[in-house]
Amino acid sequence: MTETLAVLFQLVTGLILIYFCLINFFYFLFLILSFTGIFHYRNKVKYLSFKEIFHLPLVKPISIIAPAYNEEHSITESVNSLLTLEYPLYEVIVVNDGSTDKTLEKLIEAFDLQKAKWVFRKSIATKPVNGIYKSLSNPKLIVIDKVNGKKADALNAGLNISHYPLFCAIDGDSVLEKDALLKMVRPFLENPEETIAAGGILRLSNGCVFEDGQIKKIGMPKNFLARLQVLEYLRAFLGGRMGLNKLKSLLIISGAFGLFRKDVTLECGGYRTETIGEDMDLIVRIKKYLYEKKTSFRICFIPDPICWTEAPESFSSLINQRNRWHRGLAETLVHNRRMIFNPAYGLTGLFAMPFYLFFELLGPVIELIGYIIFVTLLLSGHINHPFALMFFLVAVFLGCFISLMAILLEEYSLRRYPKLSDILIISLFSLLENFIYRQYLAFIRSKAFVDLLRGKKGWGEMKKIGFSKEAEQP
Amino acid sequence: MYLSLIVGVYSLVFLLLFCLALFFFILLRRIIVQQVEKKFQKIYRMIEEEVLITLNSGSPQKAISIAENFGQHPKVLIQTLINYAENVKGQARENLGVIFEAALKKKCLKDLRSWWISKRLRAIRLFVLFARPEDSPLLIDLMKDKPLIRLAVIQALSRLPNYRNISYIFDAFVKDPIPQAHAYINIMYGLGSRIESFVGEYMTKTLSYEKLALLIELAGSVPLRSLYDKVIGFSSHPEKEIRIAAARALGNLLIHEAQNDLIRLTEDEAWEVQAQAYKSLGRLKVSDSLDVLEKGLYSFNWHVRYNAGYSLAMLGIPGIKRLKAVVKGKKDRFASDMATMVLDSVLYSGEAT
Repeated sequence: MTETLAVLFQLVTGLILIYFCLINFFYFLFLILSFTGIFHYRNKVKYLSFKEIFHLPLVKPISIIAPAYNEEHSITESVNSLLTLEYPLYEVIVVNDGSTDKTLEKLIEAFDLQKAKWVFRKSIATKPVNGIYKSLSNPKLIVIDKVNGKKADALNAGLNISHYPLFCAIDGDSVLEKDALLKMVRPFLENPEETIAAGGILRLSNGCVFEDGQIKKIGMPKNFLARLQVLEYLRAFLGGRMGLNKLKSLLIISGAFGLFRKDVTLECGGYRTETIGEDMDLIVRIKKYLYEKKTSFRICFIPDPICWTEAPESFSSLINQRNRWHRGLAETLVHNRRMIFNPAYGLTGLFAMPFYLFFELLGPVIELIGYIIFVTLLLSGHINHPFALMFFLVAVFLGCFISLMAILLEEYSLRRYPKLSDILIISLFSLLENFIYRQYLAFIRSKAFVDLLRGKKGWGEMKKIGFSKEAEQP
Repeated sequence: MYLSLIVGVYSLVFLLLFCLALFFFILLRRIIVQQVEKKFQKIYRMIEEEVLITLNSGSPQKAISIAENFGQHPKVLIQTLINYAENVKGQARENLGVIFEAALKKKCLKDLRSWWISKRLRAIRLFVLFARPEDSPLLIDLMKDKPLIRLAVIQALSRLPNYRNISYIFDAFVKDPIPQAHAYINIMYGLGSRIESFVGEYMTKTLSYEKLALLIELAGSVPLRSLYDKVIGFSSHPEKEIRIAAARALGNLLIHEAQNDLIRLTEDEAWEVQAQAYKSLGRLKVSDSLDVLEKGLYSFNWHVRYNAGYSLAMLGIPGIKRLKAVVKGKKDRFASDMATMVLDSVLYSGEAT
């Protein structure tokens, strides 16, 4: 019995080791592909004037849809930023999704809103709309006040009202850089038939200073948790998504900043309200639909349009966010399980979906099992102590190396953090995150499975502090 | 165990050294980049001062002296020229062209054959800004290059809009795949009425539906009114996309005689064509189409009702009166709601502007 157990133990340990090697191999691969992707992109945009080629009157108009739920602290700043973007023709649709705070009142006051009579085509069923407001001071702005139905429902309501062939989904608490839309629309102009969606980069607004809806000073967050997340975002966007994009395996265009073709989104039924991972779910369903229709398409990730968003600064908010992300990922993969390992869905079915299943969804659970086995072996004396320490340090430095590569990518592509000290801080955090934070994240992401099985549906509370202005900086 | 321990130690040392090397590389790179940028900015400001004097004085002699003084800093000089040339025209750009000719042209000609795509693109960018007719053959040679380079060349050629260069642009439009064709159409749009005869000629060639539709749209957007008859001909084309493009182009050409054909298109079997025809009728602003537009408000299709409603509003007071009548009449709830919304939004935008 003891022998069988020992063999089983060894087998699991071996599998975890293989898994460890595989996951790191893929991360390296993505980073290398990201380097080539960014290199190619830089060449393309540096000396080819797209503004001239695509004369401004001919670019496609865009509807920006920004769902807002209890965003009273940041909504005015966000909408101001959206109204001052550099783009020839666009509208801003803010969907107040049944906020219980003063989000709507703040909007009415700040933008001189008046209730309007509006006839719209209800392409997608949504929760009842209480009223549609138009701004007297800025004709581009439309505000929808509706009964709370969560983010996907709010986006669908915005889609019903929108006028234009492209729509940009962004979070109500985010700030876009002035030229973000112009950069995002580029693939839709280069290849309007095939481009279905495009995503840009998310950066953390914590520690930055905003004025008149635009970023004025970029800085590192003061909060420890937020600093750890700066590194995570760099890795995820510059390393992960750029690499996956090169492999045509991108499954997520962030809900906080993505540009989509409206006709295809409507053909797919809009956002699915039953899931909390509506952004990933939409992309997977679009891919599924187009593969089944045998239409060639492309979904792009562009490394320079930037959207600034606020990261949680408290443990409770972080737990809720990561728990929600993981439940959303699980729901999407389960809902579209027919695509996994299915050659009919091309690279998405054969590589992207299995990758997300084994390395993103199951990753934290396997990591957690690995930690448990490691500690058990260590305590029971079945493992050589110097070897255990060595293995742990190898894992730490491997993680560190991947993070440093992501920092190098940031330096090579955008170099948004102006001070040398910022680079030192992020580099330091690439080491620190390996102790407690990483293990803690694996635990809370694994716990999401339990919540999913229990049928948890909610988003959980997210405390927001809003965008800081110069005067508020210490 | 000892072997695995040794392997572990080696891995650890190797990784540690790699991490440290990468970390110091990042730091060192940042320090060097900052220093280079500082130096770049210093020279840039010096060149900028001189360039501003040249632009104000208008003296080509001054431009030549800039080329002589700063020719050894080509990167900075290129950046200054690009930044200024994008914002000035006429004699001022001519003077910048003198600097380009004297200090950078030789280098750019060499760069056009460079292995590095960024160097080729940079050289073409400068030719886009300062191209002279005698440079066309050099650029045309690059039409066999990668699609990205071809696009840049087309952009450069559009700055030298003689008959031969425009032919090259149109040939590339026919040969290249459709994504590239969209970019070419935008470049052609910038050439204005000079492309009139080419558009007319290429409309009669065997092209894919997408490309033909793009040409028809182009005829409307520029607008090329002499092609009116050809566009009218496409309004009966069996392909829906072509009829949509024709309906849109007819609205943009603003020729009142198109009214009857547009009215015919409001009866088209495809709702997309109908919707576009209603929109174009509004743009024509012919009061004879009031009845047709009002009829559109009662369509089963939302898009048709929407376009018909706004087109009525575009006709001014008579259209507004019709909309009010539809609201009061309440014969059809959908038509009445649409008319209400149009009236409401006309009121708002009127106040806002």
